[in-house]
Formats: sequence, C-alpha cells, structure tokens
Amino acid sequence: MPLVYSLPALQRTILSSLVLLFAAGIFAPSASAADTLTVYSGRGERLIKPVLDAFTANTGIQIELLSSGTTELVNRLKAEGDRTSADLLITNDAGSLELARTAGLLRPLNMREIDRAIPSQFRAPDNAWVGLSGRFWIVVYNRTMVEPNQVKSLLDLADPKWKDKIAIPNSGSEYLQAGVSVILSTYGEEKTRQFLQGLKSNADTQIYQKSSQIVEAVAKGQVPLGIVNHYYVYRYLATQPEAPIAVLMPDQQEGGMGAIMNVAGVGIIKSTKHLDSAKLLVEFLVAQAGQKLFADLDKEYPLHPDVKADPALAERKSFRAAQVPLTKLAELREPTLTLIEQVGLR
Amino acid sequence: MSTIRQQLASPLQLLALATAGIILLPLGYVTAQALSADPAVWSRLWATRIPELLFNTVSLAASVAIITLVLGVSTAWLVTRVEFPGRRLWEGALVLPLAMPTYVLAYVYSYLLGFGGPVEHLWQLVAGPQARIFSPHSYGGATLVMALDTFPFVYLLSRSALLSMNVSFEEVARASGVSRLSTLWRVTLPLMRPSIAAGVALVILYVVSDFGAVSLLRYQTLTYAVFQQMTGRSDNTAASILSLLLVGLALIFLITERWFRQRSRFYQTTGHYRAPQRHRYGWLGTLAVTGYLGLIVGAAFALPASLLIQWSLSPEAQATIDSRFFGFVWNSGILAASAATAGVLIGLPLAYLASRRPTMLNLGCLQAAYAGYVLPGPVAALAVLVLFTKLAPIFYGSVLILIVAYVIHFLPAGLQSLEPALQHITPNLEEVARTLGLGMRDTWRRVTLPLVRNGFVVAWVLIFLQTMKELPATLLLRPVGFDTLAIRVWMEASEEYFQLAAPSALLIVLLSLPALALLISKDWRAA
Repeated sequence: MPLVYSLPALQRTILSSLVLLFAAGIFAPSASAADTLTVYSGRGERLIKPVLDAFTANTGIQIELLSSGTTELVNRLKAEGDRTSADLLITNDAGSLELARTAGLLRPLNMREIDRAIPSQFRAPDNAWVGLSGRFWIVVYNRTMVEPNQVKSLLDLADPKWKDKIAIPNSGSEYLQAGVSVILSTYGEEKTRQFLQGLKSNADTQIYQKSSQIVEAVAKGQVPLGIVNHYYVYRYLATQPEAPIAVLMPDQQEGGMGAIMNVAGVGIIKSTKHLDSAKLLVEFLVAQAGQKLFADLDKEYPLHPDVKADPALAERKSFRAAQVPLTKLAELREPTLTLIEQVGLR
Repeated sequence: MSTIRQQLASPLQLLALATAGIILLPLGYVTAQALSADPAVWSRLWATRIPELLFNTVSLAASVAIITLVLGVSTAWLVTRVEFPGRRLWEGALVLPLAMPTYVLAYVYSYLLGFGGPVEHLWQLVAGPQARIFSPHSYGGATLVMALDTFPFVYLLSRSALLSMNVSFEEVARASGVSRLSTLWRVTLPLMRPSIAAGVALVILYVVSDFGAVSLLRYQTLTYAVFQQMTGRSDNTAASILSLLLVGLALIFLITERWFRQRSRFYQTTGHYRAPQRHRYGWLGTLAVTGYLGLIVGAAFALPASLLIQWSLSPEAQATIDSRFFGFVWNSGILAASAATAGVLIGLPLAYLASRRPTMLNLGCLQAAYAGYVLPGPVAALAVLVLFTKLAPIFYGSVLILIVAYVIHFLPAGLQSLEPALQHITPNLEEVARTLGLGMRDTWRRVTLPLVRNGFVVAWVLIFLQTMKELPATLLLRPVGFDTLAIRVWMEASEEYFQLAAPSALLIVLLSLPALALLISKDWRAA
C-alpha cells in the first residue's frame, strides 16, 4: 500500500521511456510503399543481391531483402499468415517451395513467360513456384588424398573404410534432407537407414553448419572427402585455383540412380499487395539475361534451355540426374526427417 | 485475507504480476508444445540425441563455471586488495571481454587454433611438419572461448562485493591474529559468497543458452540443437522438448544458486566505507601479477581485437563499409538501448518487492522473471512471434516485438545485479528514514535509489551489452530491412568470411565500450 507513493518519483522516466518505446515500435520501417517489394530469401545475400540490384536498376522497383535459412523463412511465413509483408519467397530447395505451396502460402501463376522459359519438370504444376537454377549434390575430394575411382556412389561413403574421412552438412540442411529423400525414394527405407548410419559413424564430429566450410576443410586436407552442392567447389576454385580439390559426380555407373538434383526457385506470396511488381521480378528472373545472372553468381546450371552454364562447370549433358520429381521432395520430407532423427544424425 | 487484498491492491504488485505473466507466457507455450508431443517423439529423442546433448551441455557449463570462478575471483581480489603499477588500468581492462561477443571470440579462435592456422604453423616449427594441435572445434575449444568471454561476470560482481564490503570485518580478523590467507578464506570469501554465486549463475545461464559460439565451434549443446531443429524442421515439437529439458536444467542451477544465497545473507552496517588497505607487492610480485592479468586480457580481448582491426583494414572488408553499414550500426545501438531501458524499468519493481517483501507471491514473480534466460533465444523468439500475432497483431513486424524478446531473455542479467544491490542495503536504513519523519516517497528517492544506483547502472549496461550481441532471436524476429551488426557478423563468419565479418564485429566492440566505461567509471562507485 505505501509503495504507491514511491511511483511518482519515477513516473516521468517511465512514461517518457514507454512513449519512446511505442513510437519506435509503431514507426519502425515496414515496407509498404507501392514501388517496393519485400523478398524473403533463403539464398545467401551475396548470391542474390546483385541480381535484385540489377532488377532495381532496370525497373526502378526497390527491394527489401530478408536473408535467412530456407525452412526458417517458411516457418516465419506460416506464423505471419496474411499479415506478412513478404511479396516473394526465394529458396534453395524445391522441397521447401513445394511445402510452402501445399501450406497455401504461394500464389499460382498463369504466365506465358514462365511456360516458355522453364521446363515443366522444374516448376510446380500450377506455377506457384518456379525453379530458377539447378544444383547437384556431389562428392568433393582432395586430389592428393583420394583417387576419383575409389568412390562410385554416394552410398559407398557409408563403407567403414571411410571412417573419419568424410565431412557432411548438419541434418538441418535442406540439401541433405532433399538428398536423403531422393535416396529414400530410389532405394527404400532399409537401405537408406544403413547408409545414414554408416555416414553418421564415418563423419563422426565432421559435421558442418555450412557447406563452404566443408570445401575449405577438404581443400586444406583436414578431411579427404565431403558431400556438398557442386557450386561450393567451383566457387572455391574460382578464388583459389590452386586448391587440390575436384568434383566427383556420383552414381553415374551403369544402373546407378544418377546425381541428386535440386533447384533454387521463387514463388509469389499469396497475400501480396504488389502482384504486378512481383510478377515483373519473376519475369526478370526467368528471362535469359536474368537466368544467366542468377545461375552464374552461384555457379549453378541455368534452367532456361537456351542459357549456357558457366564454362568452368562440368558440361550438363555429360552426366545423368536422378529421376525423382522435385515435387516429390515435399511429401518425402516428413519420412526423411523421421529417418534422420531415428538414426540420430546431428 | 486482508493481507492478500492489500498486496493485490498495490499497483507495483500488479505491475510485477503482469510482468511475470508476460514472461511466463513463452515458457507456457513451450511446455504445452512439449507435453502435447507424441510420446514416440520423446522416446526417439531419448534414444538418440538427449543423453549426448545433456552430457555436453552440463559438462561445458561445469568446466566454464570452475574456470570463471577462479579467473573472476582472483582477478577481482588482485585489483582491489593489491597495489601494483598500472592497477587502475587493469581494473578496467578486465571488463573488456564483455564487449567481445562469444561468437566473435569463437571465430577468431577457430582461425587461430584451426587446422592449418597460425598457432599450428608455429607448433609445427617446433614439433615437426606433421604435428597437430588440439582442435578448437571441441569440448576444450568451447570451454576456452566461453570461459574467456564470461569470466568478467564473476569478476565484476566479486569486485563490487570487495569494494562495497565493510573492511572492518577483515580488520577485526587481522587484529585478532588471523593470518592474511586465513582471513581471505574465512572472512572475505564467505562475505563475497552471494556475489560470487550470482556471477557464476550468470555464467552458467549464459553458457547453456549460448548459440553463436557453440555453433561456430560445432559443439553440440541443447541450445544449438534447438536452433537446428527450429531452422531445419517445419514443426517445433522436438525443439520444444529439448527446450523443456534446457529449462529444467537451468532451473536446477538457479535453485542451487538461490539456496547458496539464502544461506548467506549479509547486510552492510553502513553505506559509507573506507577503501581497503592494499597490500604492496615487490617487483617480482608485480611482474607475476602483470603477467597473469596480461595473459588473461590478451587472450580474451587484446589478441582478438587486434586481429579484428587487421582484418577490418583489408581491402575486402573496407569495401563493405557503406551507408548500409551505418544503418546496421544505428539499428544495433537503438535496439540495445531500448531493451536495456525497458529491462531495468521492468526489473526494478520485481527485485524491490522480492527483497523488501519476500512473500511467496513476490518471490514467485521474481523467479518467473528468470524464466526468460533459460529459454533459448530461438524458442523465446518463436513464442513471442506466435503470441504477438495472436494477441497484438498491430505491433507485428515492428521492433517492439524484438525488444519484448530481448527483455524476456535478458531481464535476468539485470536482475542478477539489481537484486544483490537491494539486498545489500539493510532495511534498517529505510526504517530509520521513516522513523525520522521522511515519507515513503522521499525515503525511496533520498535513501533507497541512491544506494541501488550501482546495481541500476550495472543492470542497464549488462542488458545493453547482451542485446547488442544477441543472435538467434534477432535472426528469427528482425523486421525486414532491420539487420543489426550481430546479424552481419553471423552471416559472414558462419561462412568463414572472417575479413568481411570483421568491421561489424569491431563495431559491436566499439559500441559496447562506452557502456563498459560507464561500468567502471568512478562517479557511481562513490555513491
């Protein structure tokens, strides 16, 4: 009761602080100007910003970029619901895009530009998401430590002879999840489980948050082998041409499943208030110039049939891709995660 | 009956209750999520991840606690009880590691000690070209980094205790013929116990909820696993289960610390004290002390800071410094200052009530406020996000939501210093003021507030510093286009672009320095 009287002494401070706080909250930047698009991007900022800057230079449409993890952004979009300020979602994994589509977050598109530019196996049936570039899950090896003919298939890497000789991404990585899904769909649960158990025991503590760290470790000879997306290797070689590393395209043997492919892609958020501008961006990304820019920045394979990949990359026609439809990655995600968890992959 | 009504009638009480409620909401959310989970998920986690994660977390917390205890108390004792050249300088320098985020220290050390790094090269000159040193990506590495970064918590609180301690206790002991060492052991250390316990508790909570360092060092703890679950999976069941374990673990630590503190409640007999007599060391002693302090400050601050400066001056790093960069600086500063102010204003009534009217209700509210610290940043963030979209969508997508998460997460850091500050003033002082005719309001203004000002300042600065460095909640909650320096460091450092991360990391350190200067400045110590 007597403490009531103690309040006024502090009142002014408290009140003014509260006012400040609320002002800060209300007047915080919220991208809603007509000529501004908000893009949630699961792709590293340095690999997407130049493309978006080129779009801004072409059209005058400003872009607010939120770069983060792919799954994290999909989770955020779900939590935000219709209140989200996002207009587009760009991710590094078709499975996540398909999950976002099935969660009703994305808007189906009827655009001739898309149909003409991107082959249908690289986009959703209703074009709610559109693939922009292709990446392959490959083996990177240190040339001074491993002969390329020692590994034929990803599944070979579960062999105990590679104990402590392989680095892998952590199980939160969407590439790993998508890769395991493809193996699961090709070889079934039991074989996949054995593969994961072997991989877990072989990798032991060599489990990395980022694939770039894996390539670095292989280049330095800390570990002879790693599983990463192909472009991490080419990006590393572009800055350090002398590094003793190379790409091993797995599962190309007779009857093998083919290299595991995934795409980076874009979708327009259902609740967008800037549909026309958002469509312009999609159009820009699927057009030849945009495709070249988008794929080359990250040393990926453009999906537009008429656009050539970076010459440093292995010729696309020189290897086979696994025949698992991209849309299937979404329905396989849950069983894959259960399997990963059962095996106890970190 | 009437007492209950009286208590409830007090607005301060209501404020405390409301705060506790808001802070408990995320905890409730996580608990509900975890308990409603399919038992199969629980048993799968028990069979695969939980034993390893629990063991890793507890052993890291234990080793860091022991090392920080030794480092913190010994350094505090040296700068307050020994006179040697440069003492005042070291007194300040020992706080500097607080300005260095754990993830920055982690990335500096993973470069220094890493495979093919400079330390290994040096070692190979001595031990042959094939020699390897221990990997920083390990238990040892995580312990080293966390201990170097968090020992100032123990140092600060121990030093505060040593400075505000009534030296007559020690003098009486000495006058009665007790040896210097024995006095330290039997009088000084026991008197410091509440502060030491508070400091170590702060360290432990910090370690178990750290995300940045353990993820860069690839050391699997519960918090790291929670973040991986949250960002790698679409449903948060497993994350909630792991979080609940984490909360349980932290509660055990907290209860232990409380128990320690309850057993040793000391009041100062006066607010005025005489500076303790400092023992003067000879040149040998001075050399040893300087070497010891130099090694600690060098490893925890000087070496990493000089690397950051060197990296920042590289052309690659210079290219990242543009107008956007200054936006990040502004965002970081304004966020940290708002969170610190809000935290102190919210924490004060809680701490005051708990120490002046330690009813079950008030103590409960205070304990509730500690809940935020034990919720890992990512989970607190997610819970805040969901609660805001449901309860107050108007604030959604604003920085307010981020500030709420920070306050929930870091209020305990502030309370840890507000509480002992209030405990150290005997209620007699207030009672005397009242019997001498001072009103309640004047007593508060002229007696209590000046006496708690130290704690107040320390609390503000601690929250400010931690907010500045905060990573997981910021990653998950930042409004679009509102990146902070911490985010920039993380984006670059997690891909090992050490040079590109350096300017932002350096700026965090620089922005934290004025706050630290406030911590060690003289004018509040004299109060």
